[in-house]
Amino acid sequence: MKSLHLIKPYFSENRYLIIFGLICLIAVDILQLIVPRIIKWVVDDLTLFNIDLTKLSSYALYIVAIAVMIALFRYGWRRCLIGTSRRAEEGLRNILFAHIQTLSASYFDRVKTGDLMAHATNDIQHIRMAIGMGMVALTDAIVLGAAAIGFMLYINKLLTLIALIPMPFVVFGARFFSKKMHRLYGEVQKTFADLTEAVRERFAGIRIIKAYNREKEESLKLEAVSKDYIDKNLRLARITGSFFPMMLLFSNLSLAIVLYLGGRQTIGLTITPGDFVAFISYIGLLTWPMMAMGWVINLLQRGRASLDRIDRILQTRPDIVDIPGARSITDAEGKIIFENVSFAYKHKNLPVLNKINFMVDKGKTLGIVGPPGSGKTTLISLIPRLFDVSSGRISIDNIDISQIRIFDLRSLISFVPQEPFLFAGTIRENIMFGNNKIKDSALITATKKASLYDTIKLFNNGFDTIIGEKGVILSGGQKQRLALARAMLKQAPVLIFDDPISQVDVETGNDIINSIRSMAGEKTIIIVSHRLSAVRFADQIIALDMGGIVESGTHAELMEYDKYYAKTFRLQEIEEELNAH
Amino acid sequence: MRTDFGYFEEKKLGKPYDVKLLKRLYPFTLPYKVLFACSILLVVFITLLDLSLPYITKIAIDRYIVPQIAPDKLENRDSAKHKTGHKTRFLRADISDPEIKTVVNNYPDLFKPDLLGSDLLEPDLLEKHGNFAYIPFDKLSRLSKKELAVLRKEDLSGITGITSIFLAIIIINFVLNFIRIMIMELAGQKIMHDLRIRLFTHIQGLSIAFFNRNPVGRLVTRVTNDIQNMHELFTSVIAFVFKDLFLLIEISLVLLSINWQLALVSFIVLPFVLYASVHFSVRARDAFRTLRIKIAQINTRVAETIEGIKVIQLFLHEKRNYHNFARLNHENYRAGMQQVRIFAVFMPVIELLGAVALAVIIYYGGSGVIAENISLGSLVAFIAYMKMFFRPIRDIAEKYNIMQNAMASAERIFQILDNRESMPQPVVSSGSSPLSIDKIHEIALENVSFSYITDETVLKGVSLKLIAGETIAIVGRTGSGKTTLINLLARFYDPVSGRITINGIDIKNYQTSVVRSKMALVIQDPFLFSGTIRDNISQGKTDISEEMMGQVLEASNCKTLINRLPEGLDTILSESGASVSSGERQLISIARAFASNPDLIILDEATSYIDSETESRIQKALFNLIKNRTSIIVAHRLSTVRHADRIIVLHKGKIIETGSHDELMQKKGFYFRLNQIQL
Repeated sequence: MKSLHLIKPYFSENRYLIIFGLICLIAVDILQLIVPRIIKWVVDDLTLFNIDLTKLSSYALYIVAIAVMIALFRYGWRRCLIGTSRRAEEGLRNILFAHIQTLSASYFDRVKTGDLMAHATNDIQHIRMAIGMGMVALTDAIVLGAAAIGFMLYINKLLTLIALIPMPFVVFGARFFSKKMHRLYGEVQKTFADLTEAVRERFAGIRIIKAYNREKEESLKLEAVSKDYIDKNLRLARITGSFFPMMLLFSNLSLAIVLYLGGRQTIGLTITPGDFVAFISYIGLLTWPMMAMGWVINLLQRGRASLDRIDRILQTRPDIVDIPGARSITDAEGKIIFENVSFAYKHKNLPVLNKINFMVDKGKTLGIVGPPGSGKTTLISLIPRLFDVSSGRISIDNIDISQIRIFDLRSLISFVPQEPFLFAGTIRENIMFGNNKIKDSALITATKKASLYDTIKLFNNGFDTIIGEKGVILSGGQKQRLALARAMLKQAPVLIFDDPISQVDVETGNDIINSIRSMAGEKTIIIVSHRLSAVRFADQIIALDMGGIVESGTHAELMEYDKYYAKTFRLQEIEEELNAH
Repeated sequence: MRTDFGYFEEKKLGKPYDVKLLKRLYPFTLPYKVLFACSILLVVFITLLDLSLPYITKIAIDRYIVPQIAPDKLENRDSAKHKTGHKTRFLRADISDPEIKTVVNNYPDLFKPDLLGSDLLEPDLLEKHGNFAYIPFDKLSRLSKKELAVLRKEDLSGITGITSIFLAIIIINFVLNFIRIMIMELAGQKIMHDLRIRLFTHIQGLSIAFFNRNPVGRLVTRVTNDIQNMHELFTSVIAFVFKDLFLLIEISLVLLSINWQLALVSFIVLPFVLYASVHFSVRARDAFRTLRIKIAQINTRVAETIEGIKVIQLFLHEKRNYHNFARLNHENYRAGMQQVRIFAVFMPVIELLGAVALAVIIYYGGSGVIAENISLGSLVAFIAYMKMFFRPIRDIAEKYNIMQNAMASAERIFQILDNRESMPQPVVSSGSSPLSIDKIHEIALENVSFSYITDETVLKGVSLKLIAGETIAIVGRTGSGKTTLINLLARFYDPVSGRITINGIDIKNYQTSVVRSKMALVIQDPFLFSGTIRDNISQGKTDISEEMMGQVLEASNCKTLINRLPEGLDTILSESGASVSSGERQLISIARAFASNPDLIILDEATSYIDSETESRIQKALFNLIKNRTSIIVAHRLSTVRHADRIIVLHKGKIIETGSHDELMQKKGFYFRLNQIQL
C-alpha cells in the first residue's frame, strides 16, 4: 500500500470535513439503531395493552424527529465524505496530467494513448469510489455491525451467538467468491480485448474483406468470438449469480435461527416479544453490513489496483531532465554544431543516426533532404532535446545543449513539426498558444508571413473562428500554415522547419519559402523538406541516407555531384514542368 | 472532410431520446421474449417469496409466540376490561391434555376457567367449564420453565414447523434467484450479441468512403464498448424495473389485504414520494449529462495533449495547458458536486418520507391494536413491509444513472445503423436471376471522373480499355490518382461521371460481390488477418488442394519463407507479425491473390517492400501466372512495369502518355525522362 501517499494529502487537507462527515455518518447509524428500539417499546407496550393514544403519538413523533435528524446528518455525510472523494479525484487528475506533460517524447512511443486516457478517467474514478463509498460503506459496516451485535448481545447472548453462526460463512464466502470473480472477470476482460482486436482488425482490413467478398465469413468469425465472449460472461454470471443470492441465503439463515430459537425463548419467557421483534430487526440491520463487507473489499481492491497504476506513471521519471546546475541562457546567437552524433531509439537496436557532423553558423540556413526513413526528423528532434543523443555532442553557441536548462533551450528554438498539432479552440488561441501579451499587429504579421492571413479573412469570425478537434474544419495546407504562423510569432534565434510546405500548392509553397528566406541572415534556419525547391536557397544542404550524411554542399555543388539530390531535383523539375501545363 | 461524430457530438446531447431509443431497442428483445417472460415470472415469484418472509414471521408471532385470544371465545370483552382495570392478554391452556391439566392444577390462583369470572379456579369446576383455562400473559413468569414448556408445547412445535417452512422458502428463493440471474444474463448477452453482429455486419457493408471518414478506433468503440454499456440495461435494469414495480404493487396489495384502512392512511406519503422522484429524475439527468460531457472533454484534452506533447513541450506550453486542463477538471468537480448535492437531498428525503409513513403506521396501527381492530402481528408485518416498500423507490432512482449511460450509447449505435452509405446494388426483378460474369473478356473505363470531396477532382475523363490476357501498368507520382483508379475498378467507389463496364455492361448492374469475385487485389500495405498463413492464403476456401497450394507458394516465392518457419503454413500470424517481415507479408498477400484464381489481378505497389532480387524472381513467376489473365500493375519502380503490354502514365488524374515501354521510350516524353533519372 505504498501508493497510499498519493491520496494522503486529500485526507489531511479535508480532515475537518472528513471528521464532520464521519460524525454525521455515525450519528445516522446510531439514530437508525434507535428506531428498532422504539418499535420494540411500542410492541412490548401493545402486547401488555400498557399504552394509550398519547404515548403512541409521542412514539410516532420520536420516529419522525429521529428521521429528520437522520436526513440532516445523511445530507451532511454525503456532502462531506463523497465531496472529499470528488476533491481527491480532481487533485489526482491534475497531478497525473501535470506529470504526463513532463514526460519525454520517447515515453509516448511506448505507451498507448488509450491506456493513458483510461488512467486519467477510469482509474481515477475507481479511486474516487474507493475513497468515497469505501469510507462510507466501511464505517457503516463497522458501526452498524458492531452496534447491531451489541444490542443483540444485550438482549440475549446465547441467541446472538447462535444467530451469528452463518455470518463467518458470509465473510469467507465473500473472500472465496471475490477471488473466483476476480479470475473470471480477468478472463472476461481478456475475451473482450480479443473481441476488440477482432473488430479492429476487420475494420482496418475492410478493403481486403470487400475485395475478396469475405463479408459473410468475417461476420461468422466475429460471431464465434462474440459467442466465446458470451460463454465467458455466463461463466462469470454463474459465480456472481450464486454469490449475491447466497449472501442473502446466509442472512436469511440467521433469521430462521432467530425465528426458531428466539421464538422458543419468547415462549419460554427468556426474552420479551418486543425483544424478539427487535432481534429480527437487528438481524435485518446486520445483513447490509455483511453484504457491504464483500462489496467494500472489492471496491477497495479495485481502488488500490488503480492507485498502484497511477503511482507507476507518477514514478516514471522523464528521460530528459535538467542536469544539476544546468546553465540558464536567455539569448543566443544560434550557432549549432553536431559532433559525432549518433542516436538509437531505446526499444530498437538499430541506430537511426550514425556519427553526424555538421555546423550551422549564426544566421545561416541548413537544408536537410533524404528518402523517407533516413533520419531527418529524428535529427532535428535532437536539437530541442525531444530526445537525447546516444553519443556525440550537440552545441548551441559552443555550449553543450545538455548543459542548458531545457526551458531556456526550447525558448531559443521555434519548431514547426511535420504533423501540425492543433487543438480545439479558436485560430487566435492556436497561433498565440497562450501568450496573451502578443499584439494584434504582430499576429497579423506572423499570419501574413505564413500566407495564412488572406485565408483567415475569409472566415466569418476571422481569428476567432473555432477550428474544432485537431482543426477538423481546416484543410491540410491551412493546418500547416497555421502551425507556421505559430512558429513565426515566437521570437527565437533558431528556426527549425520539418517539411513546411508538404501540403500546400506550389505557389503558396513559394510564398512561404520566401517568408522563411527573408529571415535568413538574422536567424539560424534548418529546413527539412521533400520538395527540394524549399531548400535550394540554403547555405548548406545535407542529404541523409540510412542515418548518415551521404552528400553535403550548396545546391550548385550537389547538382554537380549528380547523386540523390541532383536526381530528385531533376525529377521534381519535370513534375513541376508538367504541373505548369 | 467532415466528421459526423467526435467533437461536435457532445453538443447534441441534451435532447432526451430515451423513449424513442427504447422503442428501437425493443425489436432486439423480441427473439428472447420467452426468456424475458421467464425471468419476469421468476422475478414476480421471487418477490412473492421475499414478501412471504415477514408474513411468516407475523404468523409465528400471532399464532405461536403471542397467541391472540379468538374474539368469538370472548363473549364479553368489556367486562374483562372492567374487572381488571385495563386490558390483559390471556393465554389459553387446553386442559384436556393431562400434562397441561397438571400444570394448571398446580396454579389454581393464576388460571381462570373463563375470561368472565374472577373466581379462583377449582378443580371440580374445570370439568364443568369445558376444556380451556386462561392465564394472563404477565402472570406466566410465575411458572417454572418446565411448566411453561409443557403448557405451550403446541406453540413450540408450531415454531418448529413454521421455521421449516421458512427454511424451505429461503432455499427455494436462493435457487430461483440463481436461475433468474442466469436467464437474465443469457438473454442480455444474446441481445448484445445480436446487436453487435448486426452493427458489425452493417458497418462492414458500408462503403469505403464511410471508413475514410470514420477512424477505425471510433467504429471499434461502437461495436465493443458502446454495446457493452448496455449490458446492465438488458441484464438487470429491465427485469429489475419490473421487479421493483411488482414489488410496489404487491406490497400495496398485501398491505391493503392485511388492513386496508391502515394501508390507505400510510399511503398519504405517496404523492410526496412521487413528487420528489420526478423532481429528482429531472435534476439528476441534467447533472448526469453535464458530468458525461465534462468527462468526454477531459478525455479529449488528455488525448490532445498526448498527441501534441512534442509541440506543447517545444513551445513551452505546459503551464498554460495545465491551467486549461485544471479549469476543465474543476468544472468536472463542480458538476460532480452538483450530482452529490442532488443525491444528498433526494436519498434522505425519501428515507424521511419512509420514516413518516412508519410513524403514521405506529400511531394509527398502534391505536388499532389498542382498540383490537388490528392484531399485533399485523402491525409488526406492516412495519416490515413499509421498510420494504421504500427500497424499490430508491433502487429505481439509482438505476436511472445506468439507464442514462446506456441510452447515450444506444443513441450512437443507432446513428450508425441509420447510415445507409453502402454501394447501391442493382434491383433484380423477381423473375430474372441477377447478372453473372462467366469470365471477364473486357473491362473499359469511359470518360471516368472522380472526386472524394467536391471540387477536388482526382480523376479527370479517364478512358481505358483492357482486353482479357492483357497486362497494363500504371505509373505516376504519389497523388496522381493510381490507387483511386483501382478503387473504382473494385467498386469501392462509383465514378462521379462516366462509367466503367465489364463485358460491355456497366458494373453498377452487377452485384458488387459478383464483380469482386472475379478479381484479386494486392495492396501496398499487405493486410493479413491474425490466424495461420494457410488461412490467409486460402481465404477460408476449403477446395484448394495441396498441389495447387504448392503451385501458389512456388509462384509467389513463398516457399523459402514457409520452409524457414518451423510450423510452415500453419504458423500463426500475430497482430504485429513479429516473425514475418513486411516484404514477406507482401509475398503472402500475393499468394492470397493467386490462390483466389481470378480473371483480373490488380497489384497496387505490391512489391514495394521486397528487395530487387526477390522482386525479379517474383516477377518472372508473376508474368508466368498472369499470362492468361488480365492484370493491372501499379508501381513506383519503373523496372517493375517494363514488361507490361501497355504502360499508362497518370498525372494529376489524367492519362498523359500511353503505350508500350519501347513506344514510350521512343516518344521521349515524361516516361522516358523518368527512366533516365531512375537508371
